Amino acid sequence: MFFKLAAKNVRKSLRDYTLYFLTLSFSVCIFYVFNSIEAQKAMLSISSSALDILKSITMLIGYISVFVSFILGFLIVYANNFLIRRRKKEIGIYLTLGMKKGKVARMLVSETFIIGVISLGAGLLAGVFLSQWLSVITANLFDVDMTGYRFVFSSMAFIKTIIYFGVIFLIVMFLSTLSISKYKLIDLINADKQNERQKIRSPLLTAVLFLLSVTFIGVAYGLVLKNGIQKFDTMLKIEMAMGAVGTFLFFTSLSGFFLKLLQFNGKLYFKGLNMFILRQINSRINTAHISMTFICLMLFCTIGILSTALGANNALNNGYRFCAPFDATFSAAGKMDIPVEMAKYGFDIGSYTDNTLSYALYRDKSEKLTKEAILGKVLDEIPDNARSFFIKQPLLLIRLSDYNRLMELQGLKGITLLEGQVAVYSDYAEYTPELMTALGHYLEKESSIGISGSTYGLYDRILTNGIVTSTASGIMIALVVPDSVADGGKIEKSFISFNCKGDRKSMRKKLETDLYAMQERNKDQKDGIKVQAETSDIVKTIAAGSKAIISFVGIYLGIIFLITSAAVLALQQLSEASDNRKRYNILQKIGADDRMINMALMKQIAIYFILPLALACIHSIVGIKVANDVITDVGGINALGNIITTAVMIAAVYGSYFLATYFSSKQIVLKGRS
Amino acid sequence: MTEILKVQDVEKYYGNKGNLTKAIDHVSFSVDQGEFVGIMGASGSGKTTLLNLISTVDKVTCGHIFIRGNDITEMKSNELARFRREELGFVFQDFNLLDTLNGYENIILPLSISGVPHKQAKSHVEEVAKRLDINDVLTKYPYEMSGGQRQRIAAARAIVTNPAIILADEPTGSLDSKSARMLLESLENLHKNLNATILMVTHDAFTASYCSRILFIKDGRLFNELVRGSYTRKEFFGRIIDVITLLGGDAGNVL
Repeated sequence: MFFKLAAKNVRKSLRDYTLYFLTLSFSVCIFYVFNSIEAQKAMLSISSSALDILKSITMLIGYISVFVSFILGFLIVYANNFLIRRRKKEIGIYLTLGMKKGKVARMLVSETFIIGVISLGAGLLAGVFLSQWLSVITANLFDVDMTGYRFVFSSMAFIKTIIYFGVIFLIVMFLSTLSISKYKLIDLINADKQNERQKIRSPLLTAVLFLLSVTFIGVAYGLVLKNGIQKFDTMLKIEMAMGAVGTFLFFTSLSGFFLKLLQFNGKLYFKGLNMFILRQINSRINTAHISMTFICLMLFCTIGILSTALGANNALNNGYRFCAPFDATFSAAGKMDIPVEMAKYGFDIGSYTDNTLSYALYRDKSEKLTKEAILGKVLDEIPDNARSFFIKQPLLLIRLSDYNRLMELQGLKGITLLEGQVAVYSDYAEYTPELMTALGHYLEKESSIGISGSTYGLYDRILTNGIVTSTASGIMIALVVPDSVADGGKIEKSFISFNCKGDRKSMRKKLETDLYAMQERNKDQKDGIKVQAETSDIVKTIAAGSKAIISFVGIYLGIIFLITSAAVLALQQLSEASDNRKRYNILQKIGADDRMINMALMKQIAIYFILPLALACIHSIVGIKVANDVITDVGGINALGNIITTAVMIAAVYGSYFLATYFSSKQIVLKGRS
Repeated sequence: MTEILKVQDVEKYYGNKGNLTKAIDHVSFSVDQGEFVGIMGASGSGKTTLLNLISTVDKVTCGHIFIRGNDITEMKSNELARFRREELGFVFQDFNLLDTLNGYENIILPLSISGVPHKQAKSHVEEVAKRLDINDVLTKYPYEMSGGQRQRIAAARAIVTNPAIILADEPTGSLDSKSARMLLESLENLHKNLNATILMVTHDAFTASYCSRILFIKDGRLFNELVRGSYTRKEFFGRIIDVITLLGGDAGNVL
């Protein structure tokens, strides 16, 4: 019997709360899709290194999913509370009919159960289909081919989704039982008669708060624009706190302030339904300003995450150009004939290429030169982590002829050094803007450097084009010197770099496979292989991996934040639609026509949706500008493109929530009218 | 005397073929300029349905209703909205004030909706407020007012557009006797001094005794009509009670 009643109620609310169901199902769907990433490998021809990355992405997504489930849990509990509040009167009737509170609670629990099962089912179904598309995106990110279509299903993600949402629904059931036991019958029956008391703040206080909020936000903007966000220090925390407090005060005072401002202009205030709309917004912003603040900050995060996630993507794309100048680099510590060493393991470098370059990094003859010789001059500009760790390391030398041959292999022009001149080389500076600036200043300040007792002039440019293919070359800075200066010094590290012959792409693949196989063969040996081999494919895969991690995590969090804030706004509007219904009925009776009423409803909901988004956008313009400064340093990005993509995504999700809210409210407000 | 309202053979049915309820059954009457007409009847007699038909909130099944010669049963919905705000004023039992607006704003709202210039609207409101003696509650919000004050704000809102007819639905229904008396005196005052035309629905004999003419309705049909004429209110009240006794007290009903 109760189950039947509950089922009937659900059917009824399915119509009334389409938004709630869609949000639930959509969350389930997103949750499944992002947790199913590892299963995508079925469809991709993926290298073993990429597989490792895919595994770590899955792990990271797993951790984030815990956080996400908290956000979604909050959303669902919040939404459920709204629904119960709207049904107070109905619950009151059950109680007056003699139903026990326990039974009412049991009925609500059955309802939640039914809703949970339906939305879980729908969401998982949608998720399984949507995850087929994710393979295309994954393939794209890793720049690999699809092996042809295969149905992807992740039983792990499937079970995980069911468990997580199961727990959330259990909590919801528990909380709704709890809230029922707290209600008094008289309040339930009179639920729709209670008028919310209008909290009126003094105009002076509102004005002061408003000015204060604008000041706070303004100062926070100013500080963050001046100091940037490279370092997460106390200053940044203060800036963030000021921004948040400013936002809160803004929403606290905004409507009151504008109400007063508009009231001075009687003509506008008393035109049509303007007065009514303003009062509507003012009446609820007094109680809704806290959620508005959270929604605004959450939207700000969404915009920030989405646009920088997409942006970082491009930046990393450009970054690995410097890490992978050749198809492969083999390196070994000390002096070593690498092809001979490799031959010991049955690996013939000559079968992959016909043009190898072997070169080395030398110590100076006195073996006293350290990186301090250069970094010491610009010490205060060097990042802390680089300062302590690198500074006592020897400053190594590269022969000019080696350097020029390496450039030639990349299709770049070499350099010519004057008599008694050396050049500063730093591939690391390419990713570390501070180091780049510091070295620039070094060249401005200094005109010479001493090496093993002699003094040399400095070449006027810092060389940054990579000389090894490696994810971490560890060179940081070095000197390109005339061959005679380096010759005779101790060899610190030997290298061989080459590009593959024949069909380069398939040869590279063969190289990677063979290297992997060789490592597998020899992994039980006591001292292991002394040569470290890295191919451009591995470097690119790792770069693509970081790209994929940032994109997946960013888009995952971005979408969750976005639907959470849009859903909270929508539910607030819908739950108040029944209060509004009375008000709009009065308007109708005193002669407002349908067009006016629809417009008023539209404006009211639009203002509610636009206010937090507008402030979040302004926050984001500042935020993205600052973030851009960081990312542009790493490697220029197409900021405008990402912002447009982000805007389209937000407009699509947020816009559909807005429209759905408008049409549902309209239905509720105009229901039962002739 | 010009005829303001003419109800012509109006019927209103609810339900379907199998279970038909005739809420209003062949009712005809008319109200002239400056009349204060009451409609009385027991619960379920159809008096509120009749008021809803006149106020264009509900549609007739057949028959016609003319207000100032315009047939409101033939109007389209947007025309009706305009008509409502220009020709009709409402006073409801539960006041129907907007809780988000203060007294002044509640009164001026119909003028704003009609697009009356603000200066003109403001002077209208001030005039009406003075007449109903509500100047001191204009800045208050409905929840800060007493029931009587609320109802007078509602009355002010009803007459501020200078409507052809004021429709009042149990206006004293949620008021204590003192407030009720004050409200009725204001209505009487409107009727006498401004020559306003008022149509009031009530089931309360005391409230009805303020009217100049009373129509009694029973089971959807007009049952009786009383004209106050030169009676004092007290005498009129007595006659109303007599009719009510007659209405509810058929010997047939008792047996």
